[in-house]
Amino acid sequence: MDPLAAIRETFFQECEEQLAELESGLLAMEGGDTDSETINAVFRAVHSIKGGAGAFSLEPLVRFAHVFETALDEMRSGRLAPSADVLKTLLRAADVLADQVRAAHDGAPEDEARSAALAEELKALGPEGASAEVAGTEEAWGDFAFQPLTAVEAAPDAAGGAWRVRFKPRADLYAKANEAALLLRELRRLGDAVVELDASALPPLADLDPEAAYLAWTVTLPGELDETAIREVFEFVDGDCELEIGRDGDTAAADDADDAAPAFDISALLAKVQAAPETLVVEPAPAPRPAPLAKAATTPVDAAQPNPAAANDAQAAAQRKPDTAGATIRVDLERVDRLIDLVGELVINQAMLSQRVMEAGFARASGVAMGLDELEQLTREIQDSVMAIRAQPVKSVFQRMPRLVREVAAMTGKPVRLVTEGEGTEVDKTVIERLADPLTHMIRNAIDHGLESPETRAAAGKPAEGVVRLTAAHRSGRIVIEVGDDGGGINRERVKSIAVERGLIAADAPLSDEEIDNLIFMPGFSTASEVSDISGRGVGMDVVRRSIQALGGRITITSRPGKGSTFTMSLPLTLAVLDGMVVSVQGQTLVAPITAIVETLLPKASDVHSLGGHARVIAIRDSYVPLIDVGMALGYRAEPLAATQGVALLIEGEGGARAALLVDAIQGQRQVVIKSLEANYRQVPGVAAATILGDGRVALILDIDTIVAVSRGADSLRAEKRLAATG
Amino acid sequence: MTQTNPTAAGGLRELISFRIGAQEFCVDIMAVREIRGWTAATALPQSPSFVRGVINLRGAVLPIVDLAARLGFEGGETTDRSVIIVAQIGDQVVGLLVDAVSDILTVTDDVIQPTPEVASDTAKTFVRGLLAIDGRMISLIGLERVLPDLELVAA
Repeated sequence: MDPLAAIRETFFQECEEQLAELESGLLAMEGGDTDSETINAVFRAVHSIKGGAGAFSLEPLVRFAHVFETALDEMRSGRLAPSADVLKTLLRAADVLADQVRAAHDGAPEDEARSAALAEELKALGPEGASAEVAGTEEAWGDFAFQPLTAVEAAPDAAGGAWRVRFKPRADLYAKANEAALLLRELRRLGDAVVELDASALPPLADLDPEAAYLAWTVTLPGELDETAIREVFEFVDGDCELEIGRDGDTAAADDADDAAPAFDISALLAKVQAAPETLVVEPAPAPRPAPLAKAATTPVDAAQPNPAAANDAQAAAQRKPDTAGATIRVDLERVDRLIDLVGELVINQAMLSQRVMEAGFARASGVAMGLDELEQLTREIQDSVMAIRAQPVKSVFQRMPRLVREVAAMTGKPVRLVTEGEGTEVDKTVIERLADPLTHMIRNAIDHGLESPETRAAAGKPAEGVVRLTAAHRSGRIVIEVGDDGGGINRERVKSIAVERGLIAADAPLSDEEIDNLIFMPGFSTASEVSDISGRGVGMDVVRRSIQALGGRITITSRPGKGSTFTMSLPLTLAVLDGMVVSVQGQTLVAPITAIVETLLPKASDVHSLGGHARVIAIRDSYVPLIDVGMALGYRAEPLAATQGVALLIEGEGGARAALLVDAIQGQRQVVIKSLEANYRQVPGVAAATILGDGRVALILDIDTIVAVSRGADSLRAEKRLAATG
Repeated sequence: MTQTNPTAAGGLRELISFRIGAQEFCVDIMAVREIRGWTAATALPQSPSFVRGVINLRGAVLPIVDLAARLGFEGGETTDRSVIIVAQIGDQVVGLLVDAVSDILTVTDDVIQPTPEVASDTAKTFVRGLLAIDGRMISLIGLERVLPDLELVAA
């Protein structure tokens, strides 16, 4: 990537951050937090995007950001009240700005009509939109100077006054056969120089010492000259003269000091020079330097917008920058993953070592064993810390939801308020990335199907504005995310009749309320009687359920008529490790994901019934579920294990289907590190992944859904695989 | 034991030769990552007979191909002397189970004779050429097709 492209990429990354800031600021204002700090934060976000966009000549973005910024400035200066309507417009403007940034990033076409319409709305908010428009792009470039970083570069050229060089030779200069006139001539070659002679130190002729130096010159040179070029002229007389080089204005103080001092007393001056040569030679002094800078920053702002607060903003932004830069670093995800892999190996290695030490017959209390215990604790801590690197707050995906809610609310005509909680809850980055789609779908559903129309709500005595709650929390080593609405709840009669109609359940099936609620997760179920524009896009809740299960999670729904429904998702914090039940089958060690296991039981001969061929069912509390011999399903043995010789794991697979997996024995429960089989081999039916156990051997992690499917027959296996490939 | 041909400056190749039963084979040394002793593999379900299973190679899951079975011989009995040649094939790493590793050969390309026309499909699929070294015939094996064909097995 060439450097400019890299900078551009950084700009867009920062834009995303600014957009997030903008949105959260506007939402805070909508929630009543309209203090100047919040307004300023919102203004800064738009302004930074505009400034950066200007630097990359992204004209449409600059234009829109400018109009947006003008409206925000009106609010900042108190001329525009942050009313609910104004904020709604601003929020929509933020959406358009986000679209424009993305359009500029991907080169995708943007919705110009929408941008233009919103730009008009924004202009209407301003006092005299027309004049702001005239200022247009030109002004956008002009106040680019108040981007803190650029100002440092731009200020000396733009704002520097003429150079003033005060040159006073000492006697030594002449003694070394240098000639002041030649130096002055050099200076004149640099540019238009105005030379003034200061002969005030010249004594009456009678007192004149022919060997002494009495004359001084002040040369004014054009401001655009480089200071080093001027210094070079005096390179050979360095130390043999008094030299002050400074800009007009900031040398004034030095001049004054000189004037006040007895100017004739050369020896006193000489003493001063020798005592502290650097204070005189080194110029400009650091202290006065920022003064012209601040001036440069304020001037264009003053001219364009009668608000001195802008300069403070620039300074505040400058102060905030180093904070954020110091607190976080951007790291390539691959490096983190490599580290996680290595730590996973360390954990395995440590487990192997422990096992070997135990085999070698060391006592538990021996120094070696105790040292190993400590090592084990340490490795676990390292593993946790490394996993924490990948962990991110769910905020990044929650943030996308307010916009979705606004859009869906606008489409359905239902006023909706989104309440989010627990945005800071952290979970693995991969989990976050794969949460966005299911969450989007569920929130759409909650508004489209969950919330009633405003009229129905009014009739039920509820406030017109519906509430959708999105919350996240850590609960017993997992993250629990809930999407709830305060709508009418699930219409169980209708759900049941639809399920019967679609042939999903028998008409007389005795179902509990909970079971009816969970019917909506069945493949091929959709409650919308007519396909609606918002949620009826051919994907049902079964797809949501599948994607949650693919993440090793579970989803359930609770619903109370008239009060609303809540979807609860429970997800693992990481995809790198898995809680598994270690079982043995025909001498092989296998791992079953604990999330799928409902219970384990020892089958009694009387509970197991043959259904022809190898097919068996087992009675579990009066319901019959298929009993699947894992050893047969995986081809480890040809003859089925007698049910009484094994242990059955009651599992709940995709779509809520239950089955019992028969294994030889249960070894225990363990957290295992997930290793891909595909990396060096390929996908194996019935096997989700592999892991490495404490003895250093590879154990396979069961893909329970496929095993259940395999037992149903090869045809359904292929269907499952196709679904998995498309899903 | 090393056979060198100083007259041909270009086309020098290093090959690792190994034994399966009474026959000798070799593969390009550049494909070989390491050679390690045999450890019991975890059997993989629904896999061809020549795939012995997977082992743990320092944290990575490594499939083991029984090269004898792959080349169509009687399935090899593993002994204490059996070794696994860890080879890079494309972007995958695979263990090849062989009876013993015998030598490193440095040869020029012109020493490698083309495979004679024979009826055996296995020979056509895997044998890339023949070498005559000290009166022994050594077959040069191409590794590209050693892993089971994805499409064939998945169907």
